[in-house]
Amino acid sequence: MTTLFLYIDPGSGSYLVQVIIAAILGGMFWIKKFWRKIRSFFTRGKKAP
Amino acid sequence: MTDPFAHHTPAPQVPHPASFRDPAGFVFAIDGVVYRQVNQFYSDRYDHLHRCGLYDQLTEQGLMVPYTEASIDLAQSTDACKILLPRQIRPISYPSEWCPEQLKDAALLTLKIQRLATDHGMTLKDATPFNIQFDKGRATFIDTLSFDLHDPARPWIAYRQFCESFLFPLYIHHYAQTGTAPIAAAWPEGIPASLTARLLPLKSRWNTGVWLHVFLQNQISSRQPAAADRNPTFSKAKLIRVIEHLQSIISRLNTSPQKSSAWSNYYSETSLGKSYLQAKEHLFRQYLNQIEFAHSLDLGCNDGLFAKILAEAAAGVIAVDADWSCIDKLYREHRPNILPLCVDLAHPTPASGFRNAERASFTSRTASDLVAALALVHHLSLGKNIPLRLIADYFNDLTKKYLIIEFIPLSDPKAAALVARKESPTIGYDPGHFESAFSRHFRIERKDPISGTERVLYLLQKS
Repeated sequence: MTTLFLYIDPGSGSYLVQVIIAAILGGMFWIKKFWRKIRSFFTRGKKAP
Repeated sequence: MTDPFAHHTPAPQVPHPASFRDPAGFVFAIDGVVYRQVNQFYSDRYDHLHRCGLYDQLTEQGLMVPYTEASIDLAQSTDACKILLPRQIRPISYPSEWCPEQLKDAALLTLKIQRLATDHGMTLKDATPFNIQFDKGRATFIDTLSFDLHDPARPWIAYRQFCESFLFPLYIHHYAQTGTAPIAAAWPEGIPASLTARLLPLKSRWNTGVWLHVFLQNQISSRQPAAADRNPTFSKAKLIRVIEHLQSIISRLNTSPQKSSAWSNYYSETSLGKSYLQAKEHLFRQYLNQIEFAHSLDLGCNDGLFAKILAEAAAGVIAVDADWSCIDKLYREHRPNILPLCVDLAHPTPASGFRNAERASFTSRTASDLVAALALVHHLSLGKNIPLRLIADYFNDLTKKYLIIEFIPLSDPKAAALVARKESPTIGYDPGHFESAFSRHFRIERKDPISGTERVLYLLQKS
């Protein structure tokens, strides 16, 4: 199997990897943003006198 | 796309032996001055690099070596479009000689340049540490021809190369404290994801960066190459997200020694105390005052105490030590005329690459007017069993004029400790043998006992 890859442009395999990584990072960014909103909603509530 | 070989002519070319892979141009030298030829094949990208303002931004920020355009009469072949004269960088060093912090700085520089290039419609077509040199104590990008026009629908072509030659060695070091130099020496074109995945400890899988860039990459790239042929679309925003993620991972990786090594506190904790160091420093300064030299090489530099004294007087100092934690300490000071390198003198960097000609040996790159070898000979002779005669031969190869060398006799506790467990007798290690070995190449200019010890400091001149 590995010999097959020796004839493939070394850059091509990494294309798909970057597409997936960028998608996951994008997803993580939105989750973080959403989580921060939830947290700030509650912490704001707690801090209020 | 233009055929890279369309302009090829069989005219005699004299490129540097490491400069043959890129059809965009090559490096050559005339009377020791390094030039770069840009071929017609690359002219549109060269023009864009200047027109879009990227070259100005990179050089103004000190990220890339600046150059001027030289006469086209210096062209080495008929397909030349420009001849560039870059600011000369010497000496050249390789990633197999860098401490982890040096590789980290080189990695962050590559990412910063790739990020800036993205804003100018360009991209780095390769990401190898060989495109970076240390100039005035800072990592500097040297390859003008690495910039390509960027299609925003395509990801970074050099991503895998970046991971294999920067990120993975830094990850292995982060978890195993191995130093990055041995990894770069064993895997000059980068360590594959498949091997990195096996070397990293289980706990590393909980790290998002490791999971994405090592394990996921290994999974995907070892699966179906046909999937890559579909060329899924990408965007500039996604590319920036990947680059910024790499930047944030690398800037948080640990490169400093976790515990002190055998050598990192050698001078501060030396059993001989402060008076020994003061006496040695006093003699050393006296020697420097009576000789003339420009470039110097400090062998076994430890924390760089004597390299810094040399730097006060010399145009440039190469400071080498086998211990990466010593080099790490010295490098972090970013002294403009000291180049700290991890080199074990029992195994100095060999000539390597295609035909053994792409990368020069340590010996051929670092020959200097003055070589200092303080508290070193006993390690090579007693520790590594290298006869004094051969050590003298090697130091004669490395110095052009002078050698300042310290001899530590067997009666000294540090030398005695090296032979304490040896069963074979120590033959030929005494002041008489030392002087006769070195007198084959040198004459003694000064010979002074270091007060309070049995150690002797010599100033030798090539005969």
